[in-house]
Amino acid sequence: MENLAAIAKQCRQKVLEMAYAAKDSHIGCALSSVDVLVLLFFRVMNVNPEDPRFSERDRFILSKGHAAAALYAVMSARGFFPREALATFAQNGSELASHVERKLPGVETNGGSGGHGLSIGAGMALAAQADGANYRIFILMGDGELQEGSVWEAAMFASSRNLSNLTLIVDRNGFQTWNKVDDIVAVESLVEKFRAFGWDADEVNGHDFERLGSVIERTGDRPHAIIARTVKGKGVSFMEGDGVWHSKSMSDEHYHRAMKEVQS
Amino acid sequence: MRTAFVETLYEEALRDPRIFFITSDFWHVKEEEFRALGARYQNGGMAEQNIISLAVGAALSGKKVFVYSIVPFITLRCIEQVKVDVCSHEADVTIVGGGAGFTYGTCGITHLAIEDIAMMRSLPHMRIISPSGSAEASALLRETIRLGGPTYFRLNMREDGDLTSMKPEVGKGMIVREGVDVCIIATGTILAEAFGVADMLAEKGISVEVVNMHTIKPLDEGLVRERVRSRRAVCTLEEHSIIGGLGGAVAEVFAESGGTARFRRFGIKDAWPTVVGSQKYLRTVTGISQEYLAVAIEKLLQ
Repeated sequence: MENLAAIAKQCRQKVLEMAYAAKDSHIGCALSSVDVLVLLFFRVMNVNPEDPRFSERDRFILSKGHAAAALYAVMSARGFFPREALATFAQNGSELASHVERKLPGVETNGGSGGHGLSIGAGMALAAQADGANYRIFILMGDGELQEGSVWEAAMFASSRNLSNLTLIVDRNGFQTWNKVDDIVAVESLVEKFRAFGWDADEVNGHDFERLGSVIERTGDRPHAIIARTVKGKGVSFMEGDGVWHSKSMSDEHYHRAMKEVQS
Repeated sequence: MRTAFVETLYEEALRDPRIFFITSDFWHVKEEEFRALGARYQNGGMAEQNIISLAVGAALSGKKVFVYSIVPFITLRCIEQVKVDVCSHEADVTIVGGGAGFTYGTCGITHLAIEDIAMMRSLPHMRIISPSGSAEASALLRETIRLGGPTYFRLNMREDGDLTSMKPEVGKGMIVREGVDVCIIATGTILAEAFGVADMLAEKGISVEVVNMHTIKPLDEGLVRERVRSRRAVCTLEEHSIIGGLGGAVAEVFAESGGTARFRRFGIKDAWPTVVGSQKYLRTVTGISQEYLAVAIEKLLQ
């Protein structure tokens, strides 16, 4: 697990570099996802950077497409593509948008509009079941996305078809854009909601590799929702718990302070 | 048309194990047979947004997925899923909408389908097919399965047989009646009205050509460019809004073509009918029945 923490540290630096170079934001929501992504790509999922589309691979869908920087940083660290591929991220003339796209090797879906990922994942899970295949499908969703009705359409469908190969992880950082999710339209109580929808559901600390890992590894006969409690802006003290870093870009001073913190 | 389409889809599904079929609780033709396909057939309930994205998930896993519902629900209700999930992934998903135009004319505006082509046309990678009859729908379905990629099929629900026995080809306008003065380009079952107009105008010495434009996107632009140069008048005819549908597509080509023909779009003006009624009745009150069209085209030539 120490190794995972070191990788996550590197990935946080990369996220800051990308956002700074692009004068882009979505920093807080990328930093809250890094640990979950590192755990999935380095410990949990059956993936192969040498053969990113082999048929038995586990699938990952970034439903919170605005955290693309975090996904790209982690997948690059895992060897899917070189760091240089990210050099132009979200800059003028770049083919890489700030929201996730299938252009890079191993990235499964395009996204950036909330509430799509679970349905796509359910379709993949259905195809896997029809083929008698054993791979798993993981979706990382933001908590604000849970306000989209399509999420609950998919949740009903997944349990009614016993899609036990489907795992939803909610990055429960508590913020959507600048404000607290539950001050806008409350989404709690999530564990109870998913259970009522026929899912297995757990709530864990989304930055605790050990506990999160053991919950993710658990499979049953139903789809599984994991509410990962995270901190928006995790790793940079002045960004933690401050929604402004959803859409604010860093000044030089911000960047140097932030880098210093994630490197320490 | 729907029954022929379903039977063809079922035959193809028996041959090709990649074919999946997902409905939103509006499918009662050959349902038992489809159920026997196991997980490849799904009634996804009243949840069109989910159904579209489910289809994409399966398509990204190597399946050829067909989704079905009534036109307004499977197009406008979930248009963003169609854009982001189907089109941006160029997923092998065919959206089948039943109830083109005024098919459900007594049900009110929720069930009218006169905006769908405009919405679908604006999406990159989307192919749009609007057959005029049963055999044509089946033939175009087979070709679509072979071609793959995002497709929208606009079906009339009635069992209305065939207006032509010609073999269609995706992307090619079909000249279903020869004529030299006026060219009527029509799509869907309203093609029948175009034949009627041609008969009525023939009696007045006006020679009308009828083109069946079953593929609206990609449009057979070459055919349009030629006709707007060589005919005295070119008209489009569709059971759809005059904004953004076949008429809009042809007008866009015409405007940039240097063509000199007189031009008129026949379709539904920018308003919903204020009354309800059968498909035939609503064609009459909205001015797209053959009697109205014959008079309007004769005037256009004066």
